[in-house]
Amino acid sequence: MVEPDDVRVREAEGGVGVGVGERCITCADEAVRVEVLRLDGPERARCLADHGWIETVETALVGPVRPGDVLLVHAGVALVRLDER
Amino acid sequence: MRFVDEFRDPALGRSLADAIRRLAAPGRAYKIMEVCGGHTHTIYRYGIADLLPPNVELVHGPGCPVCVIPMGRVDDAIAVARRPEVLFTCFGDMLRVPGGGGTLLDAKAEGADVRVVYSPLDALRLAERHPDREVVFLAVGFETTAPSTALTLRQARARGVANFSCLCNHVTIVPPLAALLESPDLRLDGFIGPGHVATVVGTRPFEFIPREYGKPVVVSGFEPLDVLQSVWSVLDQLAAGCAEVDNQYSRVVTRDGNPRALSALADVFELRPHFEWRGLGFISSSGLRLAPAWAEYDAERRYRLPGVRVADPKACQCGEVLKGVLRPWECKVFGTACTPERPIGTCMVSSEGACAAYYNYGRVARQGAAS
Repeated sequence: MVEPDDVRVREAEGGVGVGVGERCITCADEAVRVEVLRLDGPERARCLADHGWIETVETALVGPVRPGDVLLVHAGVALVRLDER
Repeated sequence: MRFVDEFRDPALGRSLADAIRRLAAPGRAYKIMEVCGGHTHTIYRYGIADLLPPNVELVHGPGCPVCVIPMGRVDDAIAVARRPEVLFTCFGDMLRVPGGGGTLLDAKAEGADVRVVYSPLDALRLAERHPDREVVFLAVGFETTAPSTALTLRQARARGVANFSCLCNHVTIVPPLAALLESPDLRLDGFIGPGHVATVVGTRPFEFIPREYGKPVVVSGFEPLDVLQSVWSVLDQLAAGCAEVDNQYSRVVTRDGNPRALSALADVFELRPHFEWRGLGFISSSGLRLAPAWAEYDAERRYRLPGVRVADPKACQCGEVLKGVLRPWECKVFGTACTPERPIGTCMVSSEGACAAYYNYGRVARQGAAS
């Protein structure tokens, strides 16, 4: 199975842009809501995003996470953990 | 979907709009600036301006980092991108931002190796996959985006990636707000504050606005009901004769922000003495550059940049739009010479720029109202 974030990098290698949603990433006062599926390293997690992608998210800036945690992610980096439990 | 659907409820929206109408004193005109481009996008996409009484006007602020990049900095980026050894990476929005000598997209068409990435971490992965190339990431954005750049540089050092560098154009949101508040041609009653910047910096940095300028600030979420409730809160403070920082986005934002992210920023970046903002001029301590300890990753030190200041095109009125003095459709070239397909000014480039947001969503309603 092709990993979605591999697609992301491969498309970048081919020079094709990948947008998420309608908003621009930079401006971005934009953040994508994701749910942690499983840990993928000490500060990394595989997450299901609201827009349907599964992607790897860096979690160093929010501290330890566990499956089921909901995060707001900006440009591949989790900025905040939402308390939805 | 939790935390989304309930913030788009039409009945609640109508009742909030009614409450806003009751609060707005007849005979008084209100101008509220939404600082962030994300809010501008929400306002036009959901037609929020149409729900407000005519004497409550939303003014679009300088909170789109793509829109405030001066043309000379774009030319610097293009000069680096054209180097044969460089694999240049940036967010998609930056491709079409015009510099004095074209855009990054033009440079790409002419053979420069320019790639779009979603995250600076993707740029770092490209550097690892292409050890024979020099990968440069064009870092643009406010405090929401800067932590991802900081984290990427930390990972580059930890993994020993030497063929990666960063052309830093990160900016901070508070200095331009202070500059706007000092601007004599600006009359604002309050601010809708940037919610996701505040996830990083917290609400504390905005407290000088009510304390020193007596204007309410409401840090807001990005769903339509968030924005409506924030407008209501600004009017409520004005009606009560008080001014404070209200955290409407408390499901995400705290007063102190994210300490880990702030610490990463303090580690990797330092403030520039001054930085040029398109339309606003030079603003002290408003831009970030890599701290000396990270010099080996600094593209500004690695490459010779033209560093030429380029004046905006005469026809472009982005500066007035960014200050909220002009509304997008009042610009001389809006929708004629300047369109999202062929932008003259940066406000028309990014989907969160005030002109592009209005062009894409707002003008239909306005034309309908006029006919």
